[in-house]
Amino acid sequence: MRFQDAAPDARAVVYAGIQAEPLVARAAALLADATPAQRVMARAVMNGMTTEPARWLAMFPTLFGPSAAAADQAERGRSEALLAASLEVAERGEQVRSQVRGAIVESLTETLVRRRPKIAAAASSAVRRERRILFDGVRAEAHPYDVTVEMAGAPGAIDCKWGARGINADVLHQLDDARAHAADEDEPLTATIVVFDAERSCNVRLERQTAPHGATRLIALETLDELTRG
Amino acid sequence: MDDAFRTPERDDPELATVRGAITAARPAYEDLAALAEDIEDEWSYVTDLAAAWTERMDDVATARGDERVGQGLADAVRALSAEAAAVDDPHRAIDWLSTYPQVLLVALGERP
Repeated sequence: MRFQDAAPDARAVVYAGIQAEPLVARAAALLADATPAQRVMARAVMNGMTTEPARWLAMFPTLFGPSAAAADQAERGRSEALLAASLEVAERGEQVRSQVRGAIVESLTETLVRRRPKIAAAASSAVRRERRILFDGVRAEAHPYDVTVEMAGAPGAIDCKWGARGINADVLHQLDDARAHAADEDEPLTATIVVFDAERSCNVRLERQTAPHGATRLIALETLDELTRG
Repeated sequence: MDDAFRTPERDDPELATVRGAITAARPAYEDLAALAEDIEDEWSYVTDLAAAWTERMDDVATARGDERVGQGLADAVRALSAEAAAVDDPHRAIDWLSTYPQVLLVALGERP
């Protein structure tokens, strides 16, 4: 088993520009330290209809109400910064906002995975983006994985989705195939799908899927911090 | 502040309890589900998704129904309902079928 950069096609070149936007890194950094409620707020705003802050401030009294400010000024500040970043995403055109959201989930995933103690102490190349995984005698998959963990003894393939509806047969087959082919080579590759949506919605989606997913780890919005624990 | 949730009735009795808040939030959620059903390929997913979240909201109403809530929650429900009412695309409605109850539950101090 070996990892390889994906050949950059036109889509990848355009998307790389999105991934490199400072807004993506800023939002991902804020989300990495956010509470589950703050993550729900960011999700709602980034896919909202209005970019009027007042409506969002009213919608989240536990984050922006008087008791929230009194309880923890730092958390209130993070909520405000996250709201501002999310509104910037929402103000983009529909197609671009969809790409930005996807890039944010990928960047957030990478950030959290890099917090695993073994990875934090390893070379920066232990976590990569947009990489393929090659196996002897197996045709390479067309699409690269969003995030890969390239550590001896603990490799991983991670795909990221904005919402539960993004869970489909293709991604489940690709992840399970990687895990199975790695197992054939005695490599304990962990296949993970990260979905920036509630676990309940993901499970409803997964129940409808016939593609193999019993050995694929699901990380949902409420469980994102589990990415830091491997 | 948005007119959709700037309402004069500061002590709306229908929104004074957890059960009242959830009941008040239900019509906008049902409208989202009806809009989302326009995507025929996702019809069964949409109905299952709405059923799963309705069950979750009902569970909270059963467990905490008589609990008094503050004016902040009433404003939150109105703002949330107004936001959902602005959704006019069925694909976005599917996404909001998941988002809407999460926002409501967070406002109620629940985990989704």
